[in-house]
Parts: sequence; structure tokens; C-alpha cells
Amino acid sequence: MLRRLKFVGALGVMLLLALMVCAEQRFPPPDFENGYRLPSASTPAARQLWLQYADAGVLLAALGISVWLIYKKRSRRGLFWLSLFSLAYFGFYRKGCICPIGSPQNIVYGLFNPDYVVPATVLVFCFAPLVVALFAGRAFCAGVCPQGALQDLVLIKPVAVPLWLEQALSVIPYLFLGAGLIYAGTGTGFVICRYDPFVPFFRLSGGVFILTAGAAFLMAGMFVGRPYCRFLCPYGGLLRLASLVSKWRVRVTPDFCTQCRLCEQSCPFGAMREPAPSGTNPKWLWAERKRLGWLLALLPVLVAAGMWAGSKLSPAAAQLHPAVALAERYTRQQSHPVQYGLMTPESLSLQRAAEDPKAVLTAAADLRHRFDLACWLFGGWIGLVIGLKLVALSVRPGRTDFEPDRGACLACARCFAACPNERVRLGLMPAAGDPAPS
Amino acid sequence: MDAKPPVNGSVTRRQFLRNGARLMTMTGLGVAAGALATRSTGAAWVWQIDPAKCLRCGNCATQCVLEQSAVKCVHAYAVCGYCQLCTGFFWPEPNELTTAAENQLCPTAAIKRTYVEDPYYQYSIDEQLCIGCAKCVEGCNRFGNGSLFLQIRHDRCLNCNECAIARTCPGEAFRRVPVEHPYLLKTTSR
Amino acid sequence: MKPEFELFDRREFFGVVAKTAAVIGLAGGAEAGAEGQGTANPFAYDISRFQKTDPKLIAYEEVTRWPIPHKDARRLAIGPDDQLYVCAGNYINCLSRTGQRGLELALAGPACCVAVARDGAIFAGLRDHIEVFDSKGGRVARWESPDPKTWFTGLAAGGNDVFAADARKLVVLRYDRTGKIAGRIGRKDAARNVPGFIVPSPFLDVIIHRDGLLRVNNPGRHRVEAYTFDGDLEGAWGKPTAAIEGFCGCCNPIGLTALADGRIVTCEKGIPRVKIYSASGEFESVVAGSESFPENAHACTDLNDCIHGGIDAAVDSDGRIYILDIVTSDVRVMKRKG
Repeated sequence: MLRRLKFVGALGVMLLLALMVCAEQRFPPPDFENGYRLPSASTPAARQLWLQYADAGVLLAALGISVWLIYKKRSRRGLFWLSLFSLAYFGFYRKGCICPIGSPQNIVYGLFNPDYVVPATVLVFCFAPLVVALFAGRAFCAGVCPQGALQDLVLIKPVAVPLWLEQALSVIPYLFLGAGLIYAGTGTGFVICRYDPFVPFFRLSGGVFILTAGAAFLMAGMFVGRPYCRFLCPYGGLLRLASLVSKWRVRVTPDFCTQCRLCEQSCPFGAMREPAPSGTNPKWLWAERKRLGWLLALLPVLVAAGMWAGSKLSPAAAQLHPAVALAERYTRQQSHPVQYGLMTPESLSLQRAAEDPKAVLTAAADLRHRFDLACWLFGGWIGLVIGLKLVALSVRPGRTDFEPDRGACLACARCFAACPNERVRLGLMPAAGDPAPS
Repeated sequence: MDAKPPVNGSVTRRQFLRNGARLMTMTGLGVAAGALATRSTGAAWVWQIDPAKCLRCGNCATQCVLEQSAVKCVHAYAVCGYCQLCTGFFWPEPNELTTAAENQLCPTAAIKRTYVEDPYYQYSIDEQLCIGCAKCVEGCNRFGNGSLFLQIRHDRCLNCNECAIARTCPGEAFRRVPVEHPYLLKTTSR
Repeated sequence: MKPEFELFDRREFFGVVAKTAAVIGLAGGAEAGAEGQGTANPFAYDISRFQKTDPKLIAYEEVTRWPIPHKDARRLAIGPDDQLYVCAGNYINCLSRTGQRGLELALAGPACCVAVARDGAIFAGLRDHIEVFDSKGGRVARWESPDPKTWFTGLAAGGNDVFAADARKLVVLRYDRTGKIAGRIGRKDAARNVPGFIVPSPFLDVIIHRDGLLRVNNPGRHRVEAYTFDGDLEGAWGKPTAAIEGFCGCCNPIGLTALADGRIVTCEKGIPRVKIYSASGEFESVVAGSESFPENAHACTDLNDCIHGGIDAAVDSDGRIYILDIVTSDVRVMKRKG
């Protein structure tokens, strides 16, 4: 099967090339007299397409099992084993790529670059965890994400992060998401993939910087639970938003909450919340509503301020694009020539630019325009995120029980064991009112 | 304003808002997915080097995320001249035309030179030794027929979403090709 | 556990957000601003020492430069009245001594080589056959090659003979003026001590020297060989070296022409240069060194094979040397210095 595919592949390549290029012949090789036959270049095939579909299938299955484990079986142990499987499959076998965390970049890249078509597998990887989150919360984070599973493994002594810090840092994933999407949309590159600290561990190789960063995250993760997931993961930001409107929510208690507060410290990720205070002083209510009103009015101001700030960022942000960097290097070379080494990438790219400087400079100018728009949008997005965060902080949650925050809960099922009702369900405790076992 | 448990069948304001938001999000995702899926052929992409654009900068040997780069030199035998003095094999001024290491261009001696018939020699690449540095490619292209060129080998490449070499390539030689035709080989047609 | 909507949260929240944004901004700026400082490429192919020509060796200077009307120029030749005939694309263009465009012959395929006899007959070599024109440009005849796998790359026209160099079949065909094959020169023959041509790329050239012998380049052996019209090898000279006195790379010289006093002008690719040797093969001087052909050097490296690069030369009766630059599609007129 493989050989046939290779043959077809090689034939296809030759046919394709023959169609693509004009038929001017190169000078042929010598005519050999002793019957020597020309070897052909070997063309080892890339990973088969059906295996990529299989990856998507495994993802869907793992998501389904995760949801079942969280809601039906309510089993921490099951989730733990599922996360180990995900670490092994999506992490070490697939080397962490393609992963849902980076997939929004592919989507945006596909939307803005007509010559890139988003493969179907990537669509599944991007949308499936989001759809699941819309219904069942962050089941992906719990049992399917290999980066999350790795961080879960190193968590030994969770330390509580102060809530104000947690809320502040929770804005960063949206910054990262915005940056990743504008760089993807402008065709600069996939910065979310570039700065993923755990994928080098999966690949077992990488640069010094990113390996050190990964080690730092893991060391921090020993005490601060899942730091990447909570404070950096851009896809986690999207899942957080989706979970806020999810149909089902993770509940600590299987049936009803007795307000015993035993679960208060049980979340290693700082997601547990207490019920809203009952009994409202009308004076407070009025003050709260006024504050909410001001914040809502402030929102467009923040967005506008963000847009202004974003437009200031544009020249620096554009530098990351190789074409813009090349144009900069070329213009700098005209005024302050630098001697680059022989056949270094810098000298070769300058040589190439010198052949058609106008094309290089116009391409860079076009990109700078695109970046202006993109950074303008990015700035507005940051303003919007900060504004909405402030609004969210001012809105009363309608909570009656102790339950995890919908968006922050990673659905890891660790808090279940703290609830007495859960223990009753598992048969570890007699129910209230039942006689104690003798 | 306490959140009272809902009366049978009715829905609280928050629940209604939530349901609405969920519906809108699903619709939005569906539209996006549909728009992209109509363009999607289901084909997956892999990275490959266009030999016409490669500038032999040496990045392929150093920038790949793997320890041993997935880029190797490939020989298009149909383009080769089978020269005794192969400028892709020998230093610009070899002491003599033998396979002694001092005469060879390749830093890892990955090119094997075998005698075919007078005066022709065959040059083949040992992929276990090749590091993808493009020294031989430069020599072959500068003086010779250009039958040596770099290609990503797909039994080694991880097919990263963003190829680390691609973003530093001065010739912009990397592009995505369909997985069914993962190579851009030089052939006898130009 | 603090409830989340208390006043002081917002202030500290703003502070933290501002600090974090600053950190991210700095990091991003640092990343974008930092650039490789032109560190060396450890795998660089360095022949820069051969690309500098000693100015004391350069005996000619460029007078003027004429563009060629078509792309894909290949060869040029001098006619009996010092007119230049240039093969470019599917055409043969005639240029006068002052660069004025004259006759243009349209051919059915790419024009590979050209030669003009003393009586003005123009022999245009396409890849697999030769077309004969009179001096006004009217087609007179079509001469076929005996072998279908022919690739003509050089022509020389004498009084009664026309020599066509076939780079693919490694032979110089001798045609008489009626188009009949009168002989084959240069084919590998151990009995006659003819080692045979090695031609890895389509650059086999032939000239008729004033001493009555042919000169043919043997690129794979890095030498110029002298043959009688009947095919006896009378001598050879040349050595493979990138230094100025030899032929660089794997297959050079690619073009030959002769001065009136018998000295030979050679053209090379890879390190593009035009040099003069004595009739017996001693290096004498440089007409144009590799500094004169920067586009040629790039064409070899950018377009990924040396067949796109190349130069050819011709000499007129005043001793002016015309160099055809295949990459820039122009003819340079070189005059002896001093």
C-alpha cells in the first residue's frame, strides 16, 4: 500500500511539475554505455491523511468521555487517566501539533489569505472543544489538553493566588489571543505556536529560550496550579467565554448544597466562589447599579482609548513580519551599510531585495497598512476586554450555592471529593438522618 | 435580587440570556465553519522547499526544531552531468580528485562518489549523514547543472503549524504543499 | 474568600493590568527589535578569493554596451563585414559596428548558435538542425542532423566546410556546403588517441583557427583541443583550477573565439570571465574579470543552475572583442587598453 502510494506520489509529482512548468528541456544526462540506470530520488511519504482524520476522531471521543466522566460518573480518577492518555497521544505521540490552542490562528489565516485553505481536521480541532464548552464547560481542559495534563502532573502543593491578582492576570489570555490573531491574519506567523512552552518537551528538542520558559512554567506549576491554562492560554480565554453560557455547569454537589463550606479550599485553580450575599441594602443596590452604569458608559471610552493605543503599537508590531523587517533592513543598509557575513540569511535577503527594491518596499508598505488596521482592532479589543472585565466584576452573580466560577472552572473534578453529599453518593458516608453504621 | 429557583417550566432572565448567547455563538461558529469548510478540500498541508527559490543560507541545518534537521539534500540524477570534478562534491581547489576528507565539500562526508564508467562518476547522498547545510547545493548550482537541492524529508518532518525554518528563510522558499504531492523535485523539464 | 466586587479590587486590578501590559509590550518590542548581527554562516561556500581579478592582468576596457532585442541570448558570431550576429530567443539579430539593428531572422525554434561564412551565408543552428540563409536573410536550405538526439551549441563556417558542435552526441559534425555530412570529429576513439568530449552542460563550441586546425573546447576535461578537419587530435592545453590561469568549476571553458594573430579568447561560467591565451595555451591576460559580470554570478545562484548563466565572445577585424552577456542580454564592446 505504501509503495503504491509512493509510486503514485512520485508520478503525481512528475505530472504536476510537467504541467506546471513549460516544457523546455534541461540538458539530459550522459548516455551511458555499460547499462547504468539512473536512480530516482526517494520520496518518503508524509503522514497519511486518514491518520489526521483519526486524530480528529480521537479528539471527539476524548471530549465525549471527558464530559461523561465529569457529569455522569463524576470521577476524578477517570479524568486523571483520560488526561494521561491525552498527554501520551496528543502530547508525546502527535508532538502537540495540530492542537486546538493554535487553531484559531489557522482559522483567521485562512479567512484573510486566499491561498491557504484550512484543512478539515483543523476545523474539528478548533470548533469541537468550543462547542463542547458551550454545553458542558471546559471539558477539554480537564481531560483532553496535553499541556493541561502535563501541568496537572507536576502540581504538588497548590498555593492560592489572591483573587484580585487572579482576575487581573485573567485578562492576559485575551491579549495573547488578540496578538496571535492579528499576526496570523497579517500572515506574519503563528506566535501562539512559537511561544508554546510545553511543545518542546513533547518534541524532546527546542531552543534554549523556549525550553527554559517551559521549565519555568512547570516549576511554577508545582505550586501555582496550571499557570499556562489560567493566565496565558488564548484558547482557554475562548473556552472561558463559551463556558459562561454553557448549558450544564460543573457542580460540586451531586444534588443540593448544604452551605457547609467544606469545598471552599478544594479548588487548586482558584475557581471556587461563594454564594451572593442575601438581603440587599437598597443603598448598596443603588450604588452598585450606578457603578455598573458608569462602567458601561466607560466601555466605549476604553475601546476608543484602546484603538488609539493600538494604532501607536502598529510600527513595532509590523517589524515581526519578515517582509517588513527585510524592507527595514534594506532601507537601513542604504544609509548605514552593515557588513553581513558571506552567505548569511541577512546578506542573501538583502541581495534578493536589491534585485527589485520597489517590490520589496511596496509589499512592506501594504503590510504596514494592514498592520495599522489590525493593531487598531487589537487595541480596541484590549479596551473591550478590560472594560467587560470591569463590568463583569460589578455584576452580581446569582449564586445560591458554593460553586466554581463557570468560566474559570477547568472541570477537573477535584472539588467533588470535598462535598459531603458526594461522599454520601459514593457510599463513603451515611446520609444525614441515617443511623451511623455500628 | 436573590436568584430564586425557577417556577416549573419558566426560565430566569439569566438563563434566557445564556441560552440566547449560546444559540448566537453556535450560529456564529456554524457560519464560520461552513464558510471555511466549503473552501476546504479536506486536504492536509505539509511544508516543502521550492528549489528555485532556495538561497543556500545554511538555516535549514540550524533552525529546524529537531536536533537533526528534517531537511536533506536530494539528487536529481537526470539533471546531473556525472562529472569527474564535481563542484558539489569537491572543494573549489581539491588537492586531488579522490574521496579524501580534505578534498570534500560536505562537512559530514555525506556524498558518496562511485565510479560508473569512464569518465563518469555517480554522486549520491547518505541521508543519515546529511545535515542540510546546502554547501554542496551551492557548489553544484554555481558551477554545475544544479542537480543537488534541498528538500524536507517527510519521514522526519513534524509538520509544525509554523515551520521554524520557513520564517527565517531569506528566499521565501518554503511553502505549503498538499500532502499527496509533498515534494517539489527538479526534473528534466525546467 | 473575598467576594469579587469590592472597590479596592479595581484599583489594584488596573495596576496589575498596566504592569503586565508594559511587560508584554517590552518583551514584544525586544523580540521585534533584536536581529542577528550578521553572524557568519558556518556552511558558507567561499570562493571570494577567486572572484577578485588582479587589475594588472586586465588588458581591455569596456567601450560601450548594446542591449539585445530578445531574451534568452546564447551565442554570437562576427560576419565578414564585421557585423554581429546574435542568437537570442527564436531569432538571429544582426547588429552593425555601431550597434544599429539590421537583419532579423525568425526561426521555428530557439536559436542555439550561428556562424557566417565569408560569402555572407548565414548558418543558424537550432537544437537539432541547421538552417541556411543567404546574406539577405532568405532561407536557402535546411540541414538535418544524422542523430535525433542532437543538441547543437556551436557553429563555425569555413570556405568549403561548416562545423557543427553537438553537445549531446559529443561530436563535431563536418558538413560540406551542400549539407552532406563529410566527417565526424572528436568522437571517442582509443585507436586515434581521441579521449572524447565531456560536455555536462550544453556549451560545446568550435572555431576554425588561422593555422588550419579546429579548436574545440572540452569542458569536462578543462581544456581546449586542436583537431584537423579530418578528426586527428593534434594537441590540447588547459588545466582545471579556479585560479586565473586555468578553467574553473566542473565544465569550462564554454566559449571560444580567436584573435587575428592566433591567440585564443576563452569564456567561462561559474566564475564568469573572459581571458586570452596564446596559440599554444599560455595564459596571457584578462579581457573581463568576474567583477564585470555580477548578474551572471547571481543568475547561477538564484536561478539554480548554471545553464542560465554564461557568456560568449567574438572578435572583429579591428581586434575589438564583443562579449555577449546571456543574463543581462547585452553585448559589451571591449577595446584593448592603452
